[in-house]
Amino acid sequence: MSPVIDANVQPHFRYNAEIRRYLPPAYKLRAIPDVEQQWYQAPGGDYRQDLYGDHYPGSDPETLCRHLFDEHGAHYAILNPLTRGNIADYLLNSRICAAVNDWLLDQWIDADATGRLRGTIRVNPEDPKGAVAEIERLAAHPKLVQVGIPLQSREPYGKPMFEPIWEAAAAHDLPVAVHINGGNGVDYPPTFAGHAHTYPGYAAFMPLNSFVHLATLIIEGVFGRLPALRFVFADGGYDILTPLMWRLDTFWVSMRDQTPWVDKYPSEYLRDHVRFCSSAFDGPTNRDVAQRWLDFTDKADLLMYGSGYPHWSTSTPDAVVSGLSSAQRDKVLWRNASDLYGLALETEGSLR
Amino acid sequence: MIRQPVCSVEELPPGTMKLVPVGKFGVGVYNVDGSLFAIANYCAHEGAPLCAGFVGGTNEFAPDIPGRLRHVREGTILRCPWHQWEYDITTGQNVADPHKRVRTYQVDVTDGEVYLTA
Repeated sequence: MSPVIDANVQPHFRYNAEIRRYLPPAYKLRAIPDVEQQWYQAPGGDYRQDLYGDHYPGSDPETLCRHLFDEHGAHYAILNPLTRGNIADYLLNSRICAAVNDWLLDQWIDADATGRLRGTIRVNPEDPKGAVAEIERLAAHPKLVQVGIPLQSREPYGKPMFEPIWEAAAAHDLPVAVHINGGNGVDYPPTFAGHAHTYPGYAAFMPLNSFVHLATLIIEGVFGRLPALRFVFADGGYDILTPLMWRLDTFWVSMRDQTPWVDKYPSEYLRDHVRFCSSAFDGPTNRDVAQRWLDFTDKADLLMYGSGYPHWSTSTPDAVVSGLSSAQRDKVLWRNASDLYGLALETEGSLR
Repeated sequence: MIRQPVCSVEELPPGTMKLVPVGKFGVGVYNVDGSLFAIANYCAHEGAPLCAGFVGGTNEFAPDIPGRLRHVREGTILRCPWHQWEYDITTGQNVADPHKRVRTYQVDVTDGEVYLTA
């Protein structure tokens, strides 16, 4: 059996108010959104139905480790908790991010007896100075392996006001993981054309916003200026990567003179700078074509298995690599994540 | 390949072009700042009449100046009229992707007459 690294897991607080134990006194009594206040409700609840109990799904480390390590066969899990959405008071939001980080260290990472959990430094891009300070505060922790930000943003992440955050992440060799962030703060329309009617519209289109961030990071030269910067798009959206990169490559040949700092085809930035986590909604419904489909734009080198646990759409390693060649499976299930996060695994087959 | 007369040197001053009806698409003979170059009138992209495009310069990345763009190579860059692909008239190479290129031809001047070998 192949080794597995699960690159996308969302642990939760046990109950909504637990976060207040980690907020500084000046912020303890402020109103903050509930983790579950999301207008677009998934069928049967946002999380796996068997996980609803006295506490929030995904809030018990022992249960989480049992599901991911014993049932999915993962060797490592990258924990990337949600915060509470974007909030008008960006300074408050940065304190919420810091509280989530302190909680993650206290309840999960530093308390972890398995040695197999890794964490994320959540930061608020709407407060660039606060985000840089939070990265500097925690970057030295050996088990915090990436920076986490919301997919929702009022400006694409290639814009210059965000660049100090990416500089700090790159300086510490930390990938930046972009994930849809739950909770209803100041939310933006999930599609380019406005609000979706119901959950299927939301879930189908929301991950596609990642391409706008990706395109601006390339075209506005951020990846060119920061060779060590890597972005992980954790909600999928890689099934539209190929046609959209074709567009960017086509326009670049015609209009290179407007952005001459882009000194190679836009698609040539992907390998060094971009990864995606798997999603239950990406890829062909006919698995017979999955192998060929993954080879377009060399997606086998870009994709990492991510369960999305404890979401209702949690996917197993087997489901994600169904139909793929054995070389593709190895890359998706562990090689790409092992390289990105520097997680050593024994050579194939000798792990267990 | 045939060497054929194009025009007198006086008829092709710097910054001008003569389109020579040779082969299927023709060849443009350009005077770039006193030096003569010839390039096929056929874009490597979709076959547009390349020599109908504007001649100008291109932009390079200049990180130290506001705007970060410096206009360079004035007079040597030919832009395809269809999709704005940029070619260096002196080499036939596409500026964005030098692997894409348009054929260039030999030009010489004998006794005040311009000759194209194409």
